Amino acid sequence: MEPDLIQNSVAHETQDDLGPNLIRMKITDQIKELQTVLRDKSTSRSDFIFHADRLIRLVVEEGLNQLPYTKCSVITPTGYPYDGLKYERGNCGVSIMRSGEAMEQGLRDCCRSIRIGKILIQSDEETHVAKVFYAKFPPDIHKRKVLLMYPIMNTREDGDGCKSSTGNTVIQAINVLREHEVKEHNIIILNLFTTPAAVRSVLQTFPEVKLLTSEVHPVAPNHFGTKYFGTD
Amino acid sequence: MDQLVFKPPGSLPSSAGSASSDSDKDNELEVDTGSDEPFEESVTPPRTPTKTVPPKSPVKTTPGKRRSRTTSLSATKSAARVVTSGNRTIYTAGRPPWYNSQGELKEAFVIGLCGGSASGKTTVAKKIIEALDVQWVSVLSMDSFYKVLTKEQHEEAARNEYNFDHPDSFDFDLMVQTLRRLKYGKRVDVPIYNFQTHAREKEKKTLYGANVVIFEGIMTFCNKQLLELMDMKIFVDTDSDVRLARRLKRDITERGREIEGVLKQYHKFVKPAYDHYIAPTMVHADIIVPRGGENKIALNLIVTHVHNQLQQRGFMFRSKLANAQYEGQPLPSTLYVLENTSQVKGLHTFIRNKKTSRDEFIFYSKRLMRLLIEYALSMLPHKKVVVDTPQGIPYEGMKLDDSKVKKVCGVSILRAGETIEPALTEVLKDIRLGKILIQTNLDTGEPELHYVRLPKDIKDYHVILSDATVATGAAAMMAIRVLLDHDVQEENIMFLSLVMAAQGVHTVAYAFPKVKIISTAVDPDVNEDFHILPGIGNFGDRYFGTEL
Repeated sequence: MEPDLIQNSVAHETQDDLGPNLIRMKITDQIKELQTVLRDKSTSRSDFIFHADRLIRLVVEEGLNQLPYTKCSVITPTGYPYDGLKYERGNCGVSIMRSGEAMEQGLRDCCRSIRIGKILIQSDEETHVAKVFYAKFPPDIHKRKVLLMYPIMNTREDGDGCKSSTGNTVIQAINVLREHEVKEHNIIILNLFTTPAAVRSVLQTFPEVKLLTSEVHPVAPNHFGTKYFGTD
Repeated sequence: MDQLVFKPPGSLPSSAGSASSDSDKDNELEVDTGSDEPFEESVTPPRTPTKTVPPKSPVKTTPGKRRSRTTSLSATKSAARVVTSGNRTIYTAGRPPWYNSQGELKEAFVIGLCGGSASGKTTVAKKIIEALDVQWVSVLSMDSFYKVLTKEQHEEAARNEYNFDHPDSFDFDLMVQTLRRLKYGKRVDVPIYNFQTHAREKEKKTLYGANVVIFEGIMTFCNKQLLELMDMKIFVDTDSDVRLARRLKRDITERGREIEGVLKQYHKFVKPAYDHYIAPTMVHADIIVPRGGENKIALNLIVTHVHNQLQQRGFMFRSKLANAQYEGQPLPSTLYVLENTSQVKGLHTFIRNKKTSRDEFIFYSKRLMRLLIEYALSMLPHKKVVVDTPQGIPYEGMKLDDSKVKKVCGVSILRAGETIEPALTEVLKDIRLGKILIQTNLDTGEPELHYVRLPKDIKDYHVILSDATVATGAAAMMAIRVLLDHDVQEENIMFLSLVMAAQGVHTVAYAFPKVKIISTAVDPDVNEDFHILPGIGNFGDRYFGTEL
């Protein structure tokens, strides 16, 4: 493990051997504080949810910046033109159950009527191989940009023992999307915390996928789902 | 206890009547309750209560049931202060700027009013205020500054042997301090003296925002420092026979005292005090008013003089701001603009478009406000911390530096600034919210302060002050000035806004160089109607649906 990575997750160019498709959020003191509260084991559940929702909202806002737009000019109430831009239609969200669902509300708060698909993936108890149990998408998903939501990504060696590898979960989810003819370059993963190994594993498998995260750290806060949903 | 704050009736209909006892606990401007109450005669405490004297007016002496004085002027004047333009009602009775375009204060005009007991000081004060017809006048009385008595002195007072008509019985230090702060536009807490316990009440009376201060009392000219603070000194010289007659009448008919006691007190303390301490200070007076309030010629002279003085101090404020030249100047370093990402630009496109429906306008402006608030919070000082994680590794993170940031509160400039409150409470649970109402007087084009309500002890807070848009910066400056007058540290103020004109940024930054100005966009121009160009239109009207 490289503890030095912790502080320097602020867009440090030297780490960018993880490839150009990894997009790191700019870390302000404020965002660092949100991450600290989520990491702290003494944080109460209600504080955890409150701060998680704030961080999710910021990740979603940043993720929307990756969507395509066109320039346009509008007239303000004072009668003057304003050169702005307009987002294109044809986006959707897909959450990977269960922890990805924690991010749905954040997306909904930004895009009121966006369509949201779901995927349920469970790991085989013995082999740790991720299996798809359920998937439901908008019918025309192959034409859309997809914001794939999953808050925590790790690989097995980094996880806490017998837990499955959530990096593999994301890979399986992208496979499902590919089966539905979603183009690889139309997929943007929205993530809160990831390990460097998980980034490598996902982006090497799908070199055209974009991955947006708030923190790359050797240890992922794997308690996220259980603490957010209160299923300790 | 005798501070009278004159506020125009009708200036703030929603809070009328709030000048009751609870206004002592908050930094709320007193608002006159209306015109149906006659001017109350000043309740002067008996200087030496005798045993036979029943307690004075229960209004004054029952703790917790005190009533702050509300005083009203004639109703006819208030009517003119509500103007209708089209189908809008405009209240034009706020406080115009009391500082110059550099944000520096204009001092309040202090009138010192001295005279013997029952000489008619209060009547003179009342007549001056009526004739002045200026809003935002505070009356401060020496009666509030009686010293707290020791147990022995308290017993003396009960035996009728404590001399209340002596300079030693007043707390001149506190008086000087209070009057000085009031003169320099600061908020003051005036003690409330309880004449039964001879102690100060726990609550204090808050006075803020006077352009004219009238300081009255029997010994207001006895202290050199006090004299230096006064811009005009008036001595009310009423014949001693008349004063004694008034005192007898007042004490016997209104307070049910015995004639013997009143006379004894008069001869033992009141008369010697007048001869020794009060009458000699007449030499300090600029004007001596014989016969008190009946003297119309003297009153006219006084009022004319005060008017001249006020006119010399006033100036057209906003037009001065608008004319200030900032062409070609780089934007100040205290300005922080949210990164102009495609989302931010897209949100601006929605809310600036005049065709955007209100539903969408509200939704997208709220999203922008959320980003603005998160951005602003990252400006607060943070410090490094290490926390334990469930994964067993220590995590080096950040948290708000509580040695530098004790408390954070929001203050919004009504009406449009209020729209930022929901975004603020979404991010900071339980945050305290203050409000300041500033409206433009359509006759003069000047911003006017109508209402202030702030958290108690706001001086200890980091304040997130917000308004939706800033054109000339006139309202922003007034709001910041209000916070400074309440002893908020300038460097602890963050001013948030969705859209600002460059001119407004310069104005605010020039006047208040330590205030952090945080915005999501800076527009180049302001038109002659003080609208931002290209701008966003009238934010409040579009958000609340009150556009014409």
